[in-house]
Amino acid sequence: MKAFAYVNATNEREVVAALKTDGIALPLAGGQDLLARMKDYIDSPDRIVNVKNALDTTVTSTPEGGLKIGAAVKIIDLYENQQVARMYPALNAAAIEIGTPQIRHQATVGGNINQRPRCWYYRNEEFVCYKKGGSRCFAVDGENQYHAIFGNDGPSHIVHPSSLAVPFAAYGARFRVLGPKGDREIAASDFFTMPTLASVLKENVLEDEEILTHVILPAPGNVRSGHYEVRYKASHDWPLAFTTVVLTMNGNRIGSARVVLGAVAPVPWRSKPAEAALAGKPLNEDTAMLAAEAAVSEAKPMSGNAYKVQMAKTAVKRAIMRAAGLKTV
Amino acid sequence: MTWGWRVAKYTWPEKPTLLSTRVLRLDGPDKVAGRARYTYDINRPGMIYGRIVRSPYPHARVTSIDLAAAQTAPGVKAVVAYRNPGDEVHYQGDPVAAVAADTEERARDAARLVRVRWEPLPHVSIEAQAMDAAAPKWSTTQENTRPGVRQETGNLETGFNDAAHVVEQTYSTHVITHVCLETHGTVCEWDGDKLTAWVSTQGVHQCAQGFAQALGIPQANVRVITQYMGGGFGSKFAPDSQGIICAKLAKLANAPVKLMLDRKEEHLDTGNRPSAFAHIRAGVSAEGKLTAFDGRSWGTGGAGAGSNFPLPYLYQFPNRKRVHTDVYINAGQQRAMRAPGHPQGCFLTEILMDELADRVKIDPVEFRIRNAPPIAPNAQWIKYFQEGARRFGWEKRHPTGDPTPGPIKTGMGVSAHLWGGAGRGSTAHVDINPDGSVVVKCGTQDLGTGTRTIVTIVAAETLGVPMNAITTEIGDTQYPFSGGSGGSTTAASVSPAIRVTCTDALNQLFAKVAPTVGVQPDDLVAEGGRIRGATDASKSVAWKDACKLLGTEPISVDGKWQDGLSGAGTSGVQFSEVTVDIETGIVRIKRILAMQDCGLIVDRLTAESQVYGGVIAAINFALYEDRLLDRVTGQMVNPNMEFYLLAGMSDVPQIDVVLNDMPERGVIGIGEPPTVSTASAIANAVRNATGATIRSLPLHPHKVLAAIEQQRAGGTN
Amino acid sequence: MSDKEDRFGVSRRDFLKSAGVGGLATAVTSAGVTDVEAQAGPRVIGPGDVPVSLTVNGKRLELRIEPRVTLLDALRNRADLTGNKRVCDRGSCGACTMIVDGRTAYSCSTLAIDVQGKQIRTVEGLAGANTLHPVQQAFCDVDALMCGFCTPGFVVATVALLEKYPNATPEQARRELDGNICRCGTFVRIMEAAMKAKTVAGPPTRQARWGDMGVARG
Repeated sequence: MKAFAYVNATNEREVVAALKTDGIALPLAGGQDLLARMKDYIDSPDRIVNVKNALDTTVTSTPEGGLKIGAAVKIIDLYENQQVARMYPALNAAAIEIGTPQIRHQATVGGNINQRPRCWYYRNEEFVCYKKGGSRCFAVDGENQYHAIFGNDGPSHIVHPSSLAVPFAAYGARFRVLGPKGDREIAASDFFTMPTLASVLKENVLEDEEILTHVILPAPGNVRSGHYEVRYKASHDWPLAFTTVVLTMNGNRIGSARVVLGAVAPVPWRSKPAEAALAGKPLNEDTAMLAAEAAVSEAKPMSGNAYKVQMAKTAVKRAIMRAAGLKTV
Repeated sequence: MTWGWRVAKYTWPEKPTLLSTRVLRLDGPDKVAGRARYTYDINRPGMIYGRIVRSPYPHARVTSIDLAAAQTAPGVKAVVAYRNPGDEVHYQGDPVAAVAADTEERARDAARLVRVRWEPLPHVSIEAQAMDAAAPKWSTTQENTRPGVRQETGNLETGFNDAAHVVEQTYSTHVITHVCLETHGTVCEWDGDKLTAWVSTQGVHQCAQGFAQALGIPQANVRVITQYMGGGFGSKFAPDSQGIICAKLAKLANAPVKLMLDRKEEHLDTGNRPSAFAHIRAGVSAEGKLTAFDGRSWGTGGAGAGSNFPLPYLYQFPNRKRVHTDVYINAGQQRAMRAPGHPQGCFLTEILMDELADRVKIDPVEFRIRNAPPIAPNAQWIKYFQEGARRFGWEKRHPTGDPTPGPIKTGMGVSAHLWGGAGRGSTAHVDINPDGSVVVKCGTQDLGTGTRTIVTIVAAETLGVPMNAITTEIGDTQYPFSGGSGGSTTAASVSPAIRVTCTDALNQLFAKVAPTVGVQPDDLVAEGGRIRGATDASKSVAWKDACKLLGTEPISVDGKWQDGLSGAGTSGVQFSEVTVDIETGIVRIKRILAMQDCGLIVDRLTAESQVYGGVIAAINFALYEDRLLDRVTGQMVNPNMEFYLLAGMSDVPQIDVVLNDMPERGVIGIGEPPTVSTASAIANAVRNATGATIRSLPLHPHKVLAAIEQQRAGGTN
Repeated sequence: MSDKEDRFGVSRRDFLKSAGVGGLATAVTSAGVTDVEAQAGPRVIGPGDVPVSLTVNGKRLELRIEPRVTLLDALRNRADLTGNKRVCDRGSCGACTMIVDGRTAYSCSTLAIDVQGKQIRTVEGLAGANTLHPVQQAFCDVDALMCGFCTPGFVVATVALLEKYPNATPEQARRELDGNICRCGTFVRIMEAAMKAKTVAGPPTRQARWGDMGVARG
């Protein structure tokens, strides 16, 4: 880890101010991602801005009946928040699946959303890939068993690492962002960016010196939601595929649906075919199967990860079954 | 010494008070409290930190090494080149230079300032690729393959003529690394021309020899200390490059240097278990007797290291042939890893066994009983198959393929293994002091297996005093020679040495106290803290009073391992029950039963821990660990503990351990055998659950799903 | 250490002291971003050695270290507190697990400078002079350790588990211990130790709760 200067910011505006410097400045929240990247020389900032004492650590109700979650809320506090559990059960389910107890105690909501890819080419200094300013994605001809099966047009084939981004997108959350020019709100589904040669160095729309401060969840309304993660290890491991579904019910039938898949694409992957397959249908296992088939109809796996298509299908099916209150296995 | 003639008679007590009981690990309190000082924890006055510069390339030539920038970096006290321009490196992680600085952070900074220019050379990183005649060579001077062992017994043609069924398949296991939690490393401190080295090692004496040879100094000038060490599993016998570099840095800087590898270096440059492949054609008679085995095997131990393993494993093929080829690739060299060769040979044979059993429609346990070696003291398999099947509820096993509806399929599997575990020439020293205190010294080391505890148990048992009356000194070359802790030999080497030495010391004490007690020395026994007449217990003296009779001169005895107190050869059988989610390919283990013998059990508690540990290590081998080299660049993609998967608490099933006491066989090591057959039992259980055969490890979901898919399509399963 | 901490766990006074400056508080106003910039923003310290003050096992520890030094390295290399181990150094294995303000944390993935003013408990802080913590005793009693290198992290994680769930179920225990890796394979007996310790540990004692620990008592 390269030596760095340190700023302990005490409010949002100090964060933004401190991020402006001649060298590279990076915000440090829970540190569960950034410190490892720095130790591995993937990032070598000149300045670290501690945001833990500056950003909101609370979950509050919004006048619209939703919740506003501070970026510095720890994952464990998100999980243990009763309002979150009651209003957004799929978010609650995603929170407890993150990392390990130690990680959940340190990591923050903002950090989870903004963490960088876990791609092993990106994470090892030897591989100068697109994401590190290089001119290739090593996964294409290499070890791509954990890489994307959707959105594989390149140039990068990472899967987005955030577990919370998926339920946030499914629940229609908005992200509040603060920068030198003031603040703005962005829909969770518009926050993350598919890689292009111009944008491949980052995974979202945040500009330099901008910081995510809040996640604003709309009132849940008459929905049923479900979350399912396929993991190899039962203990600490990254999911191989996971899904959040949020179903707006119309009596016994599904009115409209949001189906978002994680760990399968460079962004939280919203599946329009699955959503179409659910609209107007009764909520049962047969519907879940059809939607799952539809969800993977547009999959384009790489040389070594076709197995993830089956996993993604299973995750979609089981998330819907959980929303229906049915047993998944 | 009129009683010298009795010395040859060394036996274990018929009615021990401590041996074979559950004795708490002596160093437990220091370890749980964080007081135990491992090599990694040694902090010396004025100590600085070393850091190695390594090759990022799997194969390259060093064209130049420029140390100037590193030498002038803040805090730097020493810089050394380990390679010269023109040298060839053969794997990612090959050391080329090193620095030492006043803080770890600055040592890392400085290491990055060492400028090495490279000429990258073509590399090979995949076994199959390396075996192609047109492949790039791993070394500019050596071939990629070398003929290995060749064994032939009986007549293959006869064997296949006798076969009613023939199975022909390719089986394989992968490369895994040791992942010692305490990485390899050393603290080196010079006093003039004398070196003291704290080393995380499995062999203090071996290490001292290694330092002396590499540094060109007398071995008498080297002291190696290992009071506690955080796992070795076969990879920690020598000082290695990091030890020699550390000593050189310390000399150059004139300060103690700590050089512990980081996790990435540990994966790349401290050994691994070689891969194993075999294309096998095997025959079985209509009666379910094995008739023939024709195997062509290969595997890689990395850059220039062998890859042999036993094949066929354990079962009796009367007609067999096996030809092995060592394959070299540009990757770190293999080192012995917990039961070297056996987990590979076992897997390759045991999956085949289930396939053969299915062809003749015989239950896998019954099939193995028909083909296992006959029962002998070191061959208890048939007994364990029968007894284990009963304990495990094997009768509930369904034929191949769980017919239960739904995605979760359950299955059972079985597998067997063997190991040696013999003892050899350990030496020891014991002092019985006039105040009654006892000091036992032995230059062995405790890797976490409980050596310190068993030394003390044997001494206390022999001298008839409580364990807390014994001071046990190990882990230091200042103590009498004991060999490296490998091959499950430590318990069987050390226990007899302690028994012999303490017996001799006790006999001297008997001679001293006999007149006072009024019993002939031959008729004295020591137990319960007293020395008394064997037949007349009323004639006795307390241990402390007996020792007072020594006056000012302690009893001081050297002794050596002798034959007759230890044995060799163990057998074991393991059963496993798993569930497979056929919609995800994910395997979860429900329970494992391990049937195991190890002769005379010294400490039942730590012996059981060894079995638990071996089983869990093999769960990792079966399901999780995998050293993954990028197929294009040859660089390791998972040199960490995040994507190099290891089981956590939620992945560990119920494990039942049954230890078969065989005290008449003497002490036999148990460190390695329990890790041999678990993976095969798991793979066979997956096959039983799904009806799909996976012939390679690890049992990653992609293989499980592919095998299920192939089986549905009417493939060769 | 003052009992009156602000909501970030760092008392203003301590922060100012450790930053080695006075008059900083005025920089933090409700002014706009531009105003903060005009005042050069909050204090930038490092990258060289800076004073860092830690409260470890109830005792105050004054260090001079670079901001990049992790909590684990600060304690192991600068304070000779070597009980907690460095194994993966990337937050994957749990050997470095400490309790920070009542919750377990990977000290390899925590900057020392970030945890000033927080109550840090290491494995060394659990045992008394002559007695082990009930969790440590249970580990010994059931042989829940072999080489012992993961043990300090597991012990700390188990202590935190039982402070959070004094009557932990096996499910809770597994989940709370899933952040730790053992290579010798002691998991079965660690679980046994956790279940055994809960029967003797009882509810968390006053001393065991970080909020009640003071310098005097350390």
